Amino acid sequence: MREQEAVFKNGNEMAAIAAAHMDFHVMGYFPITPSTGVSEELSSSKAEGLHNIVLIPGDGEHGAAGICYGAALAGGRVINATSANGLLYALEQLPVQSGTRTPMVLNVITRTVSGPLDIKGDHSDIMYTLNTGWIILMAKDPQRIYDFNIVGTKIAEHEDVMLPVIVGSDGFFTSHQKRRNYVFKNRENIKEFLGEYKPKYTAVDPENPITIGPYMNEPDLINNKVQLSNAMDKAYEVLPKILEEYGRLTGRYYNILETYKMEDAEACLFVLNSSFDTAVEAVDILRKEGKKVGIVSTNILRPWPKKEIIEIFRNVKALCIADRQESYGAKAGNMSIEIKATLKDDPENKTLIFNRIYGLGGKEFYVDDALELLKETLKVSESGKIIKEFDYIGAYEGNKHYEEKKYVKDVVSDFFDNKITVEKNKETGELIVKGVNTRNLTEMPKRIAPGHQACPGCGIFPNLNLLTKGLKGYVVFLFQTGCAMVVTTGYPYTAFRSTYIHNLFQNGAATLSGVVEMFEERKRRGEIDKNLEINFVMVSGDGGMDIGMGPVIGTALRNHNMIIFEYDNGGYMNTGYQLSYTTPHLAESKTSIVGPSFAGKSTFQKKGGVSTFHKDTPMIMAGTHIPYIATVAESHTVDFVKKAAKAQYVANNEGLAYVKAISACPLNWKSPPEEQRSVIGRAVESCYFPLYEVYHGITKITYDPEKSQKKMPVSKFYDRMGVTKHLLTEENKEELESIQKEIDRRWNRLKARDEHPLL
Amino acid sequence: MQKSSIPKKNQFGFYEIRLESIGGLGANVAGKIIAEAGVVGMGFNGSNFASYGSEKKGTPVSSFIRYCDEDQPIRINSPVTEPHLLGVFHENLAARIPITAGVKPDATVVINTDKDPQKAREYLRLAGGKIFTVDAIKIAYEEKVRMNVVMIGAITRAMEFVDKEVMKEAISETFGKKYQKQLEANLRGFEAGYSQVEVMEFDEDGRFPVISFKEVQGDWGYENAPIGGVIVEAGSSILKNNQTSRQGKIPLFHLDRCIHCGMCETTCPDYCFSFVEKEDSKTGKNQMFNEGLDYQFCKGCLRCVDVCPVEALTEELEAEHEIDKITIKL
Repeated sequence: MREQEAVFKNGNEMAAIAAAHMDFHVMGYFPITPSTGVSEELSSSKAEGLHNIVLIPGDGEHGAAGICYGAALAGGRVINATSANGLLYALEQLPVQSGTRTPMVLNVITRTVSGPLDIKGDHSDIMYTLNTGWIILMAKDPQRIYDFNIVGTKIAEHEDVMLPVIVGSDGFFTSHQKRRNYVFKNRENIKEFLGEYKPKYTAVDPENPITIGPYMNEPDLINNKVQLSNAMDKAYEVLPKILEEYGRLTGRYYNILETYKMEDAEACLFVLNSSFDTAVEAVDILRKEGKKVGIVSTNILRPWPKKEIIEIFRNVKALCIADRQESYGAKAGNMSIEIKATLKDDPENKTLIFNRIYGLGGKEFYVDDALELLKETLKVSESGKIIKEFDYIGAYEGNKHYEEKKYVKDVVSDFFDNKITVEKNKETGELIVKGVNTRNLTEMPKRIAPGHQACPGCGIFPNLNLLTKGLKGYVVFLFQTGCAMVVTTGYPYTAFRSTYIHNLFQNGAATLSGVVEMFEERKRRGEIDKNLEINFVMVSGDGGMDIGMGPVIGTALRNHNMIIFEYDNGGYMNTGYQLSYTTPHLAESKTSIVGPSFAGKSTFQKKGGVSTFHKDTPMIMAGTHIPYIATVAESHTVDFVKKAAKAQYVANNEGLAYVKAISACPLNWKSPPEEQRSVIGRAVESCYFPLYEVYHGITKITYDPEKSQKKMPVSKFYDRMGVTKHLLTEENKEELESIQKEIDRRWNRLKARDEHPLL
Repeated sequence: MQKSSIPKKNQFGFYEIRLESIGGLGANVAGKIIAEAGVVGMGFNGSNFASYGSEKKGTPVSSFIRYCDEDQPIRINSPVTEPHLLGVFHENLAARIPITAGVKPDATVVINTDKDPQKAREYLRLAGGKIFTVDAIKIAYEEKVRMNVVMIGAITRAMEFVDKEVMKEAISETFGKKYQKQLEANLRGFEAGYSQVEVMEFDEDGRFPVISFKEVQGDWGYENAPIGGVIVEAGSSILKNNQTSRQGKIPLFHLDRCIHCGMCETTCPDYCFSFVEKEDSKTGKNQMFNEGLDYQFCKGCLRCVDVCPVEALTEELEAEHEIDKITIKL
């Protein structure tokens, strides 16, 4: 046995420690709750110099999966972690990787699949991976996450297997629960266990040119799949040996199935992952009463442990399979379907099986729940009759006497009237806005009600207030996933007084363009009153403008009649502040932790330098040649409202308007809530975030800090935020100068565009 | 080797702690430190986790700690429903949610309050038990530390079986690495919390009932909820109450100084201000006038104080004002 040491860590931390201990080469990732802790932990330990893993933030999970696939093709060891719709967004890459036989480890920290959006745990995500050709190990506790990441790597790289592997664990229940765990004291021991990874084919061996991923139709593809199927058989064959070897090194021996008191059990419950332990307590209670009950779970979903499943249930009279998801329409969860199919192949098996769906969307599974299920199973075993084949537990009917209430007065067309006018000057072609006055505008009803759950001092809501003050009449919002949607629509409450749609932040722009065109087409067909005017507004954070950039560009190129409003707080704040592409250069975030071995955002390990500085989204949008682009800041209220009003004019008459605000996040910027308006003011005065608009290709600076003699160096903005403060120290002098230089360059370029209508 | 025995255990062999707080007070970190002290320092087995939502400041959060004997495996993943010790980080929580649910009459409660245990029992409506009070906010201001270390001090005192030095080591382990400068102050805060508690024990005298733990159920269920998760009650968030987000400070509105410019209204993230249309006595024209703010929604960010050009909004201590009297309902 090799020496082990105790650590008190949660599941995400254990996945990160395993990757660090194995000295993986690359992690491509995109933050999604609850898996984010893996990349955060690796960032934190990287800052301390505890490992050499290159952490590459993808533009979305699909991009992250691509990074991982590429990195794996280049012959090194790769890790990723994701959950829920992030996994589904990456899904199409998974068969590509298994079909081309490229090992890596993907931690799936299970969470329910949207919609409606729910960030808590169930197994609806991981069941989508059953057909992907990946090995799937299930880790019921933090200890197993560490162990199965290591064991999984060894299986994946076995020369007769060569398949990627998923390690599935329960979101929050396991990922966020700290437990006492054991890890190898010496990394050398893990190295010995794994051996050197030498894939036969890599993309970076130019002296042996190969083609990876050919165009392969019939009759050949079926042969490729037979090879894949055989590789799974091989994995099934080698797994017990690898587990045995691992047990000898660590004292932690694992079987294919996880079982409890199954030697003589007549009534049995099958559950996956963390619920197993809870159910064990219920078994102990019933065993004391002399009841022959037991629990089964599996440590491996793919390859499917058919032999072991058949054996374990051979003498069981009644079995309840509790699934944490349903295959809708099948009236069964996936484990129920698979186990029933498996037992059909055992002619001797007479087990009575029924299925319960439980714990969806993070609903807790208590010992009492397990007790109830086992008691019902006992009844079935004693009576020889199934009471109910399929049911949900834990759902409720609702209050039948509850009457729907009304919190908004009747909304009519002049309900939201801002008394602002926008006219186009026929000679100059400019838009002239009149009637913007902050005092008068207090008269306008708010489109968003108070009572939302944003942090104190949040910048999003002043921004939304100023935006919507500029919009007259009916508005339909689409919010992409982010802080603003989460804090306004926590069921059963909503802060919206106008119609609101949420879609995941890959796809909001495309979705809203669909709404716009359907509305117009139905008007044309006379299904909707031709005189009805609705303004369609998409609201997104900067995170949504990273992962959703593609659909935004598509929407812009199609030039739909709508507004895209971005609140940019320079990070993925809804998940606790991981870096986005607009995070200030070298700023600290939870995935760019500053320490002795890491300098902050943008220092990915690469040839000859750093990534480009904070993303210049308005200029990207300018490249699509949409009619209107504007930047706004809450520090310049009148300018803000005027631009919102112009955006509405453009959306109604000319096409797409894109408006971007820099938005304060006192919590994650580590900046006092009360100072946020002046902090935003400094972003403008320092030209970090200049205020301008581009109308039909003509750029106008709408506020010039130089002319107002208020221009200040970027350090005056950076010193107001804890996450950039380190850049003001003497040792970072050169770095700060390089940032100032880039800001000056962008500002001077903007001035040139302002001076020359053709630029 | 386990350094002490665990005095009380439930049927599954656990001593259980539940911390009730709001995001931003550091209850998660406190939970982690308390658990780590038990597991790493005392040699118990144990676990720790929190009730997570999204990462927001000011929303309710619970943290759970379980201790058991070193050789006992941990099998329970569900939240602590019947804690031996309940830690309350913010007294306003008492009003909002039944935080004492599942707390039995022989339990220990540690609460951050400026009141004595007798009064604390009254507003917690506690059936019985041992109440430790500590003015953690005041101590935290004095020692310039976050209040969570003060609470850890008081909780350590109340638990009795976790060694004080072990807890200090766990604090050093968490804060030492990154915040070396702050460590001494944190340890002082811990000591102050440990020593400045008031304690009283209450019998179950029938004044207040024992509230058993029940999972929350809403009005909308599968029989009556609109399909697809659609919410039909527009603007219903006005039923919410954001007052627990405040941490002792409020903006106070002075009508006599106000010039009704509307700047406060443009900076307030929580849409608290009431403006009404009235005749301007000077011009005879109708104009918008600021009437003040609705504290039901005010989270105490004080943005409005910062932008007011005429000091018609000032920063004040909440404890010195009767909120009900100064609030202007929206």
